[in-house]
Amino acid sequence: MTILKKIREFNWQAIRENKLYWRFASLKTSVIFLGILVFFYIIGTIFPQGGEIDDYIRAGGRFSSFVIFFNLLELFTTPIFLLSALLLFINLAICTFERFLLLLSQKTLKTEELQFIPSYILPLDINPQLEDAFEGVREIFKKELRFREQTNGSDKEQVGSVRIIEKGWSYKWLTWIYHVAIAFCFVGFLLTYLFAFEDGITLYPNEHTKIMPTAVSRWNGSWGKGPQELDFKLILDEFITEHNQFPALDYPKDKLSRLAVAMGWKEVKYLLDNESYFPKDWKSRLRVIKGNHAVLEKTIEVNDPLYFQGITFYQAAYEQNLKIQVDDNPILLETEVGKELIVPGVDGMLKFGTLKTGTLFKKDGTTEKIKPFVETTLVRKDSSGKSETKKLGKLVQDESLVVDDKRIILKEFKEASVLSYRYDPGVPILWISGILAMLAMSLRIFGAWHRIAYRIDEKDRVPRLLLNIKTKGLMANEEKFIKRLKYHLNKMTEPIDLDTPV
Amino acid sequence: MSNLETLLSRDAFLLSVDIRLFWFVALIYGASLVLYIIHLVTKKTGPGKLATNILWFGVITHAGLILLRTFEGQRAPFQTLYESLSWFAWSAAVTYLYVERKWKDIYLSGILVAALSMGACLYALLTRSPAVEPLSPPLQSWWFEWHVVLAFLSYAVFVVSCSIEIVYLAIKPSLKKGLGTDFGINMDNLESFHAQSFRLALFGFPLLTFGIFSGAAWANEAWGRYWGWDPKETWSLITWTVFAMYLHSVSIPKWRGMPASIFNILGFICMIMTFIGVNWVAKLLGIPSLHLYAM
Repeated sequence: MTILKKIREFNWQAIRENKLYWRFASLKTSVIFLGILVFFYIIGTIFPQGGEIDDYIRAGGRFSSFVIFFNLLELFTTPIFLLSALLLFINLAICTFERFLLLLSQKTLKTEELQFIPSYILPLDINPQLEDAFEGVREIFKKELRFREQTNGSDKEQVGSVRIIEKGWSYKWLTWIYHVAIAFCFVGFLLTYLFAFEDGITLYPNEHTKIMPTAVSRWNGSWGKGPQELDFKLILDEFITEHNQFPALDYPKDKLSRLAVAMGWKEVKYLLDNESYFPKDWKSRLRVIKGNHAVLEKTIEVNDPLYFQGITFYQAAYEQNLKIQVDDNPILLETEVGKELIVPGVDGMLKFGTLKTGTLFKKDGTTEKIKPFVETTLVRKDSSGKSETKKLGKLVQDESLVVDDKRIILKEFKEASVLSYRYDPGVPILWISGILAMLAMSLRIFGAWHRIAYRIDEKDRVPRLLLNIKTKGLMANEEKFIKRLKYHLNKMTEPIDLDTPV
Repeated sequence: MSNLETLLSRDAFLLSVDIRLFWFVALIYGASLVLYIIHLVTKKTGPGKLATNILWFGVITHAGLILLRTFEGQRAPFQTLYESLSWFAWSAAVTYLYVERKWKDIYLSGILVAALSMGACLYALLTRSPAVEPLSPPLQSWWFEWHVVLAFLSYAVFVVSCSIEIVYLAIKPSLKKGLGTDFGINMDNLESFHAQSFRLALFGFPLLTFGIFSGAAWANEAWGRYWGWDPKETWSLITWTVFAMYLHSVSIPKWRGMPASIFNILGFICMIMTFIGVNWVAKLLGIPSLHLYAM
């Protein structure tokens, strides 16, 4: 209560009278802060974000001491970047607050009324009364052109007074709304920054897998809290891989030959014998186990994750383990796809490409079960350390390849699904504020808003309409509007045809 | 001949038609560029008018090419850089022609647009593979079409906005000195011509915003995080921020002239950087990118 009392008694006006406050409320400041952020963004694209300094040096990265000192590989979490973002947020918050006060005060309405300078003067050849003209014009604006009255507390019914009417969504309020929504996006970013964490998990078929994150959110980390095991388990019932048949294109790489294709001197061909398997989909059939019961079942794939208890599980990758038999040796050699395997009696090391298995969707619309195989290569290193790679061809399951008189057989394989999972409480706020920002911005920019200040008076006993138009939005067209208005005014001033029966 | 072989020979035939048509379109854009340059040098309206008519022909032919590509791939034709360059060239030329209708005898801004459209076509034809690839798993998303279409529409709009801005900056000094020009621009229509540049940037800004938002939503669905400070993402944010600076600076009376114009041109440069330049820089610096399929 005392805090509330103190807040109420605090002299807020004193803050608003501060020069620094008004510096923060200026558009120039916004542009400067945006410029500072652009500078950081550019730096962030030069140095690989999230990378390790050792990898950076190994890849030939320069100025390593400079990079370490300024933490340039984690630039967007450095205090200086966060401070810049905070300053922009303060600027945004003050600007929206001041704009809000201005919108409530309706100062613009009063100013427009006081400083009425007509940009159009349209004579109304109406007979006989000024009062009729006044009512007629009012009806046109209200019923035909669908304007609404803007009251300012003053007497609006008087002939000769300036009336202000409006049509369309108020561009000022829309501008204000999308700025507020952007400010809320900052809140979303902050929640992500403080509370989000992510990790990965490898699931083997039909095994209950506990989920023990190794990562922790920044907030928990700063309080010394370690990661906690989640109170549910996952079971991978099936891992499914699908491929599209994608024959290789025989197309030249050099520019002159490409020109020859354009001239029709060379042909373009798809080669069936060199067909490749283009990944179509990876799917994991999952079960969520809580206690002893399955509480959720879902087949996830890329772009279709699993949501459970605020955590989202994504299909990230897969692992493939192979068991290789050499000649008739009953002891199988275990290896992983992409890793080199030393086989006794073979000069060099064997390397296996991605195991192709699952379903093949062929170009002619048929499907086919792929007989599992891996592309096999032999890597040999000479005395100078240079490695030479030789393609050995397809190693199909239960079939053999002969290398240095050794029979290599792919006996078994095991696939595991690699999932990433993430907890991020900032996402819902970003969804709501992002959609609101885009809606308001679209209505503000693409929509049409008209404000008209008008007065009716008489010159040489002929009533005339004096008006001033202000438009905003790309759909607003002043010329078209004046044409429409003239059309309705002409209709109003048309002489009555006495021969026409009523 | 098996059914599969028939299909492959049909695809190869369609692809060779596609490639030849694309070269033809690049040639048309090139012819239009040459005529716009002749208009610049001779100060005569005729070549400008002809250049625009040729550009119309190019755009219509290019629309046919895009439809053919859609038929070939049975999907939206902007998966690879080859396809997105084609889409970019077409959308920039279409936007320019739509805007140019209002300016009967002003053709100067067509130079940059025709040059970029031709350049994009040639870059695709000479350096990228034209193979019609199936959609890879991350691209099989509802967001894919929205993200690319809106981002590229905004790019097209920014190209035209920048070309008008450059013409304005080039013409204004001589008009102010009372020298006059023969390019259809005079003191009476100069400011309204320039206002078109602002209106275009204003039009493109929400499109770019939605392009970035849809990209973030898609990334959240596919990779589990809406923002990863990937070079392409960051450059799109740079482009957005620079255009935000431009739109704000127009509201500042003292910055309304040259400073605002500079922001508009900078925004365009950032946009080109986002689209093409970042790929080169990422490769040059060895920075891994999640947008590899767009390289």
